[in-house]
Order: sequence, then structure tokens, then C-alpha cells
Amino acid sequence: MAVRPVLVLPHRVLSAVAAPVGRVDDEARALAEDLLDTMRASPACVGLAAPQIGLSLRAFVVDVTGHRKARSCHGPFVLFDPAITASEDPEVAREGCMSVPDLTGDVTRARRLTVVGTGIDGERLTLEVDAFEARAVQHEFDHLDGLLFLDRVAGSHALFERKVYR
Amino acid sequence: MARFSLSALGADRPGIVAGVSGALVDLGCNLEDSTMTILRGHFAILLVVATPPQVDREALERALTPIADAFDLTLAVRPLSDAAVRAEEADRAQAPGPGSQAQASVEAREAWTIAVHGADRPGIVHAVTTALAQARGNVVDVATHVVGEPDSAVYVMTLRVTLPAGKAAEAAARHVGEAASELGVHCTTHRDEADLL
Repeated sequence: MAVRPVLVLPHRVLSAVAAPVGRVDDEARALAEDLLDTMRASPACVGLAAPQIGLSLRAFVVDVTGHRKARSCHGPFVLFDPAITASEDPEVAREGCMSVPDLTGDVTRARRLTVVGTGIDGERLTLEVDAFEARAVQHEFDHLDGLLFLDRVAGSHALFERKVYR
Repeated sequence: MARFSLSALGADRPGIVAGVSGALVDLGCNLEDSTMTILRGHFAILLVVATPPQVDREALERALTPIADAFDLTLAVRPLSDAAVRAEEADRAQAPGPGSQAQASVEAREAWTIAVHGADRPGIVHAVTTALAQARGNVVDVATHVVGEPDSAVYVMTLRVTLPAGKAAEAAARHVGEAASELGVHCTTHRDEADLL
């Protein structure tokens, strides 16, 4: 459908709690297509949430296909109104975000989780995800609550500038 | 044994740490603690140095001056009182280990991480740390970053702090969060997790 501009800090939508999507209608499906198109437009992007393209709605897409840190892989998928129903096995790893320029950070995330939500055809989905796909789901899920990885850093020296020093 | 603080700052270039530490090791000094990092293109060194009996402040400055000149560093050497070092050692000795009980006479405190981010503007650090001080919080460590394009720069600050333990910590964290929102910046606080595996 369309590649949308990705909002960056300090845009207020990124700090807002997003509203439920509810019934999956044409508008919701168009949002999902825009999220997928926008995610695919950036080669390193493995997930994108609706607030990042300026819509404060509870929807995100994830696609960890071919990523070297991935174990479980459900291919490209969209989740509307997701909920994380179980999570276990925390680990610290570094992540970045399309909406946070120049920084990466060490964040503790569960290595395994169960996430439920509504799929693109309005079907009820229950996904068991682990490793990198689990990290991506938790990162995107946080966007729906107005949280960025910055809000979860593991300490005052857990943020790193991406620029290459001389 | 005497201790000195040593700070040095200059435009970043290779060899600064090697030069400074070389002068110190030649005098028989020990680097007890340090922070060294690049701040806006300047390499900043902050050291606590323990010196052998015959090395006084003048001897330290004399040994470091050629390095400071070679690298165009702003250098400062100051004697340190032992009181702060002894207090820290006492804290460590009293720190509750597995199975031990915290000393009742020492106020219980807990470690928290505070993350603040928002449009860059003067006063963010002051507002957050003033609220923190009012709530009897103590800053242990701070890192700041300015990211993004110059016309939409974002200030990101992460702090490690200690707060009075328990419900007081949650109240203090709320107080800091309110100060941040008055400034229009986003602030989250969480207890540092200390899972021992």
C-alpha cells in the first residue's frame, strides 16, 4: 500500500498509550499493509508498531525471517490488540529502534513468551515465540504502551552511541 | 599512603591514556579508580591515584606536565581526604551478603535506574536531580547523550541512583517522574534487578 515516514523522538505519539483496534476492518488491514511495507523498506528492520507511523493504535508487525539470532520464526505477521500471556527466562541483549536515532541499549527481555492477539483476517492467534522473535515482539509491544527501549535500559551505562569513533 | 584526584581533559587523540598512566607508573603510583571517556570530542580522564610516601602533589604535577604539554591537556591534581574512601570501604564491609542481615543503624537504601528523554532544552538535568535530592535520592552515576538532527535534538539521560528503601522509594520515583512531566520530558524509573543466578 504505502511506505510511511517513521516518527522519531521526541514525537509525542511515541510516548502515548495506544488505543485498541477492535474489529479488523478495511482500515485496520490497510494499517497492517502500511506497517509491513514500511518495515520492508528498511533492510535491518524486523518489526514496526503503529505509533511509529503516527497512528496511536494497538497493532504491530514482526518479521525475523533469515535473522541470524532468530530461532522461532513465524514469518511476517501482524497482531492487533496483542497481549503477552506468559514470559520466562530473562536475558540482556543490545537492541536499537527506528524511532531512536543514534543509540542502542542493553535491555532485559524474556527469551520465551506466549503472545495472543488478532490476525490480519480477524482470526484469534496464539504464538509461541523465543529468542530474537520474542525480543522483537516485546520491543513492539512496548511501543503500544508508549515505551521505548530507552525506558528499559539495564543501567546508566547501558546506552551506546552508534556513531563510529575515530 | 596518600591519595590524589587527577583530572585531565583535551582534544581526543591516540596515546593520552598511555602517556598519563606511564608517568604515574614510573612514580610507583596505583590507579585505584577511574572514569575515562570522550565528551564532545574531548577525552576526559578522572582518576583516584594512590601514591608512595615520597610522592607529593608537586612530584605528581612535575611528572605529568610533559604529558599534559604533549597532548595539550588541562590537568588538575588535588589531594583527597581518606574519609570518603574509608566510608565506602565501611559500606562494602557492611553490605548485606546472602543470609546476612542489614545493619539496623544504617538507613536501608535501594538502587534504581531512571531514564529521561525528550526534546533537548536547558534545565532537564537540574529539574530531575533537584526532585531527586528533595526525595533524599543520591546520584551514583549519570550518562547523557544528545541524539538526532540539530533542529530536533533529543536529550537522553540515564541515572543510577539510590533511594530510601521500600514505599519511600516508590514515592521518590513518582516525585521525579512528576518533575520530568512538568518539563515535558518522558521519564521512567525502575528498581535495579539483582537476580543472583
